[in-house]
Amino acid sequence: MSKRQLKTALRQEGVVPIRMTRRAKRDMFAFLGFTFPNFFLLGVFVFWPILYSLYLSFFKWNMIAPKKTFIGLDNFQTMFNDPVFWLVTKNTLILAFFTVVVKMAIALGLALALNKNVKGRSVYRAIIFSPTFTTSVAVAMVWGWIFNPNFGLLRVFMRPFGIPPLDWLESVTHSLPAVIIVLIWSGIGYDMVLFLAGLKNISLEIYDAALVDGVSPWQNFWYITFPLLSPTTFFLTITGFIGALKAFDIVAIMTDGGPLNTSNVIVHFLYQNAFQWFKTGYASALALILFVIIMAITLVQNRLSRRWVHY
Amino acid sequence: MKRRSLVLILLLAVILLANGSLWAAAQAEVKPTGPVKIVYWRSLTGVAGESQDEVVKRFNESRSDIIVESQFQGAYAEILQKLQAALAAGDVPDLVLLDSPHLQIFAKDGVLVNLDDFVKKEKAGFLNDYIPGLLADGYYDDSLFALPVLRSTPLLYVNGDMLAAAGLPRRAPKTWDEFREFSKQLTKYNAAGEAEQLGAGFTTTVTSGHWYFQGAVYAYGGLVSDEDFNIYLSSPEALAVATLWQDMVFKDKTAIPSNSHDDFLNKKVGMVFGSTGSMGNLLSRADFEVIPAFMPGQKQNLVPVGGSVLAMPSTDKNRQWAAWEFMKYMTGTDAQAYLAEMTGYMPNSTSARNHPDLAAYYNANPVRKVALDQLAYVRPQASVISLPKGTEILRQMLEKLLIANMDPKQVMAETTADLQKEYNENFK
Amino acid sequence: MRRAAIKHRPLKWYAGRTFIHAILMLATIIIGLPFLWMLTTAIKSPAEVAMFPPIWWPETVRWDNFVKAWNTAPFGRFYINSIVTSVSGVFLEVAIAALSAYAFARIRFKYRDFFFLVMLAAMMIPGQIALIPNYVILAKLKWINTYQGIVIPHVSSVFGAFLLRQYFLSVPSSLYDAAEIDGLGHLKTMFYVALPLARPVLGTLVLYLFISKWNSYLWPLIVTTKQHMRTLPVGLAMVRSAEYSIGPEHLMAASIFVLVPVLVVYFIAQKQLIEGIAAGAVKG
Repeated sequence: MSKRQLKTALRQEGVVPIRMTRRAKRDMFAFLGFTFPNFFLLGVFVFWPILYSLYLSFFKWNMIAPKKTFIGLDNFQTMFNDPVFWLVTKNTLILAFFTVVVKMAIALGLALALNKNVKGRSVYRAIIFSPTFTTSVAVAMVWGWIFNPNFGLLRVFMRPFGIPPLDWLESVTHSLPAVIIVLIWSGIGYDMVLFLAGLKNISLEIYDAALVDGVSPWQNFWYITFPLLSPTTFFLTITGFIGALKAFDIVAIMTDGGPLNTSNVIVHFLYQNAFQWFKTGYASALALILFVIIMAITLVQNRLSRRWVHY
Repeated sequence: MKRRSLVLILLLAVILLANGSLWAAAQAEVKPTGPVKIVYWRSLTGVAGESQDEVVKRFNESRSDIIVESQFQGAYAEILQKLQAALAAGDVPDLVLLDSPHLQIFAKDGVLVNLDDFVKKEKAGFLNDYIPGLLADGYYDDSLFALPVLRSTPLLYVNGDMLAAAGLPRRAPKTWDEFREFSKQLTKYNAAGEAEQLGAGFTTTVTSGHWYFQGAVYAYGGLVSDEDFNIYLSSPEALAVATLWQDMVFKDKTAIPSNSHDDFLNKKVGMVFGSTGSMGNLLSRADFEVIPAFMPGQKQNLVPVGGSVLAMPSTDKNRQWAAWEFMKYMTGTDAQAYLAEMTGYMPNSTSARNHPDLAAYYNANPVRKVALDQLAYVRPQASVISLPKGTEILRQMLEKLLIANMDPKQVMAETTADLQKEYNENFK
Repeated sequence: MRRAAIKHRPLKWYAGRTFIHAILMLATIIIGLPFLWMLTTAIKSPAEVAMFPPIWWPETVRWDNFVKAWNTAPFGRFYINSIVTSVSGVFLEVAIAALSAYAFARIRFKYRDFFFLVMLAAMMIPGQIALIPNYVILAKLKWINTYQGIVIPHVSSVFGAFLLRQYFLSVPSSLYDAAEIDGLGHLKTMFYVALPLARPVLGTLVLYLFISKWNSYLWPLIVTTKQHMRTLPVGLAMVRSAEYSIGPEHLMAASIFVLVPVLVVYFIAQKQLIEGIAAGAVKG
C-alpha cells in the first residue's frame, strides 16, 4: 500500500484528519503568538550572533572603519600561534577545575554538617549562601582590599605562619589563585544548598537499613550518600564548570588579567580584544572557540555521566 | 483585582517590548529650546577633575546660549576605548579630553573635526599665544585637530621627612645613579625580613607606566621609538634603564612595582613618579613634606611631554560652534591660569603663564614652579604609544622586568617584536 | 530508630555536635568576614585604614565617608538606572517566560517538541559569544546608552520558561479542562488558572531575576559609554579607577551603596530564594 492509499484508508476510518480542524489552527496561532517574543529575541540576540561571529571571524575590522577586510582564516592562525591565547586557555581551564572541585568538596562537607539538624541551621545557611547573590563588582572590590599586601586582612592571617607579605594580585604565581579563592568563596553557598536538597531526597530508610548492618559512617557516606547524590554532583559539575569558563567580573576588577596575563581568562581576553584594542575579528574567533569548548565539555560530561551517575 | 493588575502589567510589558520609544521618552534628556547643549568627556580625577568641572561651571554661568555638560569617563586609556565604542555606535560627545598621542588614532580615521576653519574665523594671530611645542601635538597631516589644555610632564615626588630621617639631604636625587643610592639609604627591613619602608615605587599601569620609562630612557640619551615607528628598545640606553630598574627591585631589593600613590602616601615607599597633574592631590593628601622634583637626569635632563589635548568629535554644525566656543574658553588665559594653579598642570600659553594670579601663586608656592621649569626640557612621546595596543605592550614589558624578573635583553627584543607586529597590523 | 537514639545522648554525640558547630561556625566566619571588613573599613579614617595590624573598630565612626563616596560620582542617577533596568527587565522576562511556558505546557502544536529543543539549545550557548554581534546590532539601532539597550538583549528566557513549564504541567489537568468548558481562551486560562497556581515559583523567579539583573556588569559596561546611563556596578567600577583621589574607605563605602538593596532583598526573602533555587535546580 502506498503512503497515499494508507492515508486515505486511515481517513476513511476517521483516524487521521488530514486537514487541520479549526481548533488545531487556533492552537497553532496561539502557540506561535505565545512563543513569538521569546523566539524572536532568542533569534536576534542568541542564535544570530553565532552566525555573525563566524562571519566576523574571517575579517579584520576595528568596528569604526566602514569597511571590513576579508582575511580568511588568518584570525584563527594568529590565535593558534599566539602564546597568550594558549596561556589564557590554560588559565581558564585551571580556574574552572580548581574552582569547581574545591568549591564542591567544601560545599558537600558543609551540607553534610548542616543536614544533621543542627541548631541555628537556617542562620548558617543564610549566611553561607549570601555571597551567591552579592554583586560581583563589590565582591571584587572588598577582596582586592583584603589582598592588599600592606594593610589587607589576609596579611593578618598569614603573619602567624611566618608568611611574608605578598602582593597576590601583582604576582605571576598568585594572581590566578587569588581569583580562584574569590570564586570559591562566592560559590560555596549555592553548591551547599543544592547538596542539601539532594541529601533531603535520600530516604532515611536506606540509612536505617545500613545501621542495622553495622556500617561505619565513612562507608555510609562512600557507599550510600555519595552515589545517591550523583545527580546533584553531576548537575553542579556541569553548571559550575561552564560558569567558571565564563568568569569575567572578578578578573576584570581584581587583576585586569595581569600581571603578564597570568590571571587572564578567555572571556576577559575576548573583552580586551573586542572593546579595548578593537580587534573585532580576532575577538569573534575567540568567541567561537569558547563556544566550541563549552559544547565539547557539555558533551563529554554527558557521556561520562552515563557511567557514574546513579539515578 | 490582583489578577487584573497582573494582566495590565504583563500587557504593558509586551507593549514596552514592541515599542522602545516609550522608554526613550522616559530617559530622553530634556531638549532645551534655547541654549545649545554640548557634552564634554573629561578624564582625570581628584583635584584635576574637580577643577575642570569648575571651569565648566564658570563657562556655563558666563553664557546663556550654551550649556556644557561635563562627564567623567575614566583614565585616558578608558577614554580611548569609550570613544572608539561611541564612534562605533555613532553616538559621540562633542568634545573630548584625549591623551595627546591618542589624537593620531582618531584624526587618521577622520572622526575629529578639522579646526582650521574655526581658526580662520578668529582674528589673525589667534594661535600665536599658545606655546608652540604644546600646540604642535594638536596637528595631524598639517591640519589642526586639537588645542593643548592640561599639559604635564612626569615628575619625581619624594618624601622629604623620610629622606631627612635617613640622613639624606631634603632634596630629590639628581641622577639615576643617585636615585639608586638614595633608594638604598631609604630602605628598611625588620627582623622578620619584612620590608617596612622601601626606596622607590615603579608604576606599571597601562596609563602611565610607559611614560616614566620613556623619561628614564630620554635621560640616558636614548629613544623608545621615533616618528617613523623605528623602535629602539634594544639600544644600550633603553637596556640600561631596564637593567637598572630590575636590579633595584630584585638585586638591591629597594624598590617595588607600585600602582597607586597610596604606597607613597602611607609612607611605604619614599619616592614615586607622578604627573605634574598629581601635584595638587599629593600635596593636599600627604601628612609629610612632599618635594616635587625633576625626573632624575643622567646624560641629560629630558622628559616626554604628556597630558591632554581638547578635540572635537561633534557631528552637528550648531554644536560644533558651541564646542569651539568652549574650547576657546577652556584653553584661554583665565581658565588656564586657574587650572595651572589648582592642579599643577602647565599653563599652555604665554599669556596664561604671565597671568598675575599665577605669577603671584608661584611666588608664594615656589615648590609648584618645578612643573613650569621642567617645560624647558621636553620632547614628544614615543610614536608607539598611539598604537591601539601600544601602552598595553609596554605595560607587559614593565611587568616582565619588574614582576617576572625576566632577562632584560630578551624582554626588550620581545617587546620590540610585539610593537612592530602591532604597527604592521594597524598602521600599514 | 533515629528518634529513639535521641533520648540517650552519649558523650560521643556531644563531641560530634561540637565538631559540627565548629566547622559551620568557621565557614560562617570566613564567609561573613569580608562583609564585616568592608563595613569597618568604610567607617575608618585614612590613618586607621593604613594601620597594620588593622583595628577592627575605628575610634570615631566616620559616617561622612559615605557622603564623600556618594559625591565622587552621581550615585543617585546610578540608582535610578539600576532600578529602571532591573525592574523592567524582570517584568519583560517573566512575561516572556510565562507565555512560552504556557505554550509549551498546554497548547497543542505539531512542532512543539522541535521548538522546545531549539529553546533548550539556546541554554547551551554562552552569552559571551554574543557580545560583539549584539553590540553591532545595538549600534545600528542607536540603542547604545539607552535603557532598552541594557535590557532587551537579556529578556529572552530559557531557564524561566523551562521552570514555569514544569509547574504548569504539574497543575491537575482537570483544572484546565474546567477552564476550557467555561470557554476560556489560552490567555485567560494562563492568567486565571496557570499563573495563580504557580505563584510561589513565580515569586522566586522574580526575586532571582531581579538580583541577577541588578548585579550584572559586563553587558551594561559595554553598552553604556555615558556616565548618566551607567548602572550601579558599572558606576562603582568607574569610581575605583579614580585611584589617586579616593581611599579604600570611600571605595568600601561606595560598595556598600551597591550591596544594600540586594542584601535587603536577600535577607527578607532568603528562605524562599534558597528553597526555590534548590527546588528549581533539582527538578530542572
